[in-house]
This record gives sequence, structure tokens and C-alpha cells, in this order.
Amino acid sequence: MSDTPDSPDARRQPSAGDTGKRLTSLRQLPQAVEPARDLWPGIESAIRAAQPSAAGAAARARRPVRWQWLASAAAVAAALVLGVLIGRHGPASVSHGGTPLATGPAALNVAYITDPRYVRERARLLQTFQTRLATLPPATRAKVAASLDTIDRSLRQIQDALGHDPANPLLQELLVDTYQQEMQMLTTVDESAPESRAPATRS
Amino acid sequence: MVLALQSEHVDWEAGLVQRARGGDVRAFERLYRQHSGRIYGLCLRLTRDPSAAEDCTQETFINAWRGLANFQTRSAFGTWLHRIAVNVVLARRRRPEAREPALPLEDVAVEDAECTLDTPVEEREIETAVGALPQGARDVLVLCGIYGYSHAEVGHMLGIAEGTCKAQLHRARALLRERLSA
Repeated sequence: MSDTPDSPDARRQPSAGDTGKRLTSLRQLPQAVEPARDLWPGIESAIRAAQPSAAGAAARARRPVRWQWLASAAAVAAALVLGVLIGRHGPASVSHGGTPLATGPAALNVAYITDPRYVRERARLLQTFQTRLATLPPATRAKVAASLDTIDRSLRQIQDALGHDPANPLLQELLVDTYQQEMQMLTTVDESAPESRAPATRS
Repeated sequence: MVLALQSEHVDWEAGLVQRARGGDVRAFERLYRQHSGRIYGLCLRLTRDPSAAEDCTQETFINAWRGLANFQTRSAFGTWLHRIAVNVVLARRRRPEAREPALPLEDVAVEDAECTLDTPVEEREIETAVGALPQGARDVLVLCGIYGYSHAEVGHMLGIAEGTCKAQLHRARALLRERLSA
């Protein structure tokens, strides 16, 4: 930024003011202004979070899962996506037990999936997912796999819809809701596996 | 020579877009490095808030990544990013706490989008004066006057009629001259 760091105006104005150059046209103003910090890490976290990792995808393809509510949650996500795609307005967020869902403005919701804590936790859960899943009964594993497939399909549909309307706040919110459902499912599988039960400390 | 260089630049950029479409995050980072300054500059001038401009810039590139499959390669990638950035800023403004009152406009004659000043003025003074303009006038002045978009393009980006765009620019120029000569 251009002025002294403590000046409110310094924080408001583009850095173009630093040179003291005198101009006769607005077109002579520099179009580019460098941000005070590198914004790429936050962007990269968000796009990697939205891009299922190869390891995670492989795990899901081979793996299982259970619980009726898991399938219900995925079905709700899919129903919401369909609702949006055909122009109906579904609820802004899905309420299900456990992790509270973000209900704020879309940009705040987008911040949820860019949060480094979320990115780290998701990566951790995906890493141990296969091991945890293998400890569950076969019927449960099959249900979890089906539910995660549904969530994956929902995510792809939302991302496709966002491709046509990138700034749509409802779609952005829906995307975050669906990621939250995925996180809820991964967490439940993680906590249900015998080896993780004792030390489970999720609040 | 200039044309050749521009063409080379476009080809190079098209290659990066192609790779990014295939999921290459590093290629997308190079596109970010190439365009982040202009996108942040635009967001900063539209929001007047560095923190909001940072958020909008990040959201712009996240949305761009998601929408790469729909990007028409015959148009300029930078222009496409600008459209997304304007949408992001407008979406942010739709939040109740971010709303600024709209002022009535008068019909005016068509004017060129070029914004010249009678006497030379320091960049800092111009930026301050632009930042102090009412929202609607500022949006149009920034997009037309600084970034060089036509009234039709700006009208499309902001979702306003071309005539409204011209009226806003007329008003912005008058206010700017008034403030810079004060």
C-alpha cells in the first residue's frame, strides 16, 4: 500500500499513489496493484480441497461404509443439488446431528473450505479412511461407499453449476454444505473404527 | 513486432489455461501470478477495503478454477477474470451490511469513456478522489476510466443499462473534477 502504514487512507488507497507522478487521464493510472500478502496459498488450499485427491478417490473406490443417516445426508445433498438445478430454492443449509453447519453469507462459507484447519483435518481423515473402513462390517462398508459416491456426484454437479454461475451464493453455500456432509461422514467412519474409539476426542 | 509478442503471450497463456483445465494447479498458479495484480487492483478500487479486496481476489480465482471448463478460449482470459471479480464484488455488496444508498441519475448525452483531467494531478490525489465517489459512479469510472471497458461491457458486468452507465460516468467525472479542483 502506498501511504504510511498507520494512516487509514494508506489502507484504503491503491499503491498507485506512491510515485507522486502527475497524470492527465485516469487511463494513466496503473491497473495492477499488488496485494500486501501472497493470496495464492489460500486459493490453492481451496481448489485442492475441492479436488478429491487421487489417494482419496482410490480409497473411496475400494472402500465401504454404513449408517442410514449417512445415506440420508447424501440423499439430502443430492436432492438439494437437483432442487437448485431445476430452479427451486432448497434450504440454505442441511441440518444434521454433529458438526454445526455454516449458515452465514456465501463468502464466509467459502472461507470454511479454505481454512487451513479444515484442509489439514480432511487430508488426515482421507489418509486413514481406508484403514478405518476396513474394520467395519461389509454391509456397512457398502453403504458408506454408496453414500460417498452420491456426495461425490453432488459435488461434481454443484461445481459444474458453479462453472456456469461462479458467483452464485446459493451454489457456493450448497458446495460448502456438501463438503461438510463429507467431513461428517469421514469423521463418523474415523470414530467408529475400533482402533480409534478409545482415544476419540471429537467435541 | 508488438503484434507478434502479443500473440506469443496469448498462446503462452492459452497453454496455461489448457493445462489448468486438465487439473494442473501449477499452471493455474502461473495464471494467478500473471493476473493477480490487475484483479486485486480492480477489487481494491471497487471495495475501497484492502481486506475485502483480498477476499474478493481469492474468491475470484477460486471461482475461476471451478469455471475453467466453461471459459471460452476465444475471449481473453483476463477479461473473463474481470467479469468474475465484478460478480464477486457485487455478490458481496448484496449483503445487507454492505449496501450503500443509490442516488438518482439524470439523463445525459453520450460521452467518450476516456476520462481526462484539465490539469495534471498526482496519482495519489486521483486515487483518493476516485475512492471517495459514490458506489455506482465509482464502479463505472473504475471500469470505464481505468480499465478501459466500453459502456456496453460495463453495463453487462454491472447489470445496468448502457444509458445508466453513461449517466454514472458523467456524474463521476463531474464529481471527480469538483473534488480535484477543490
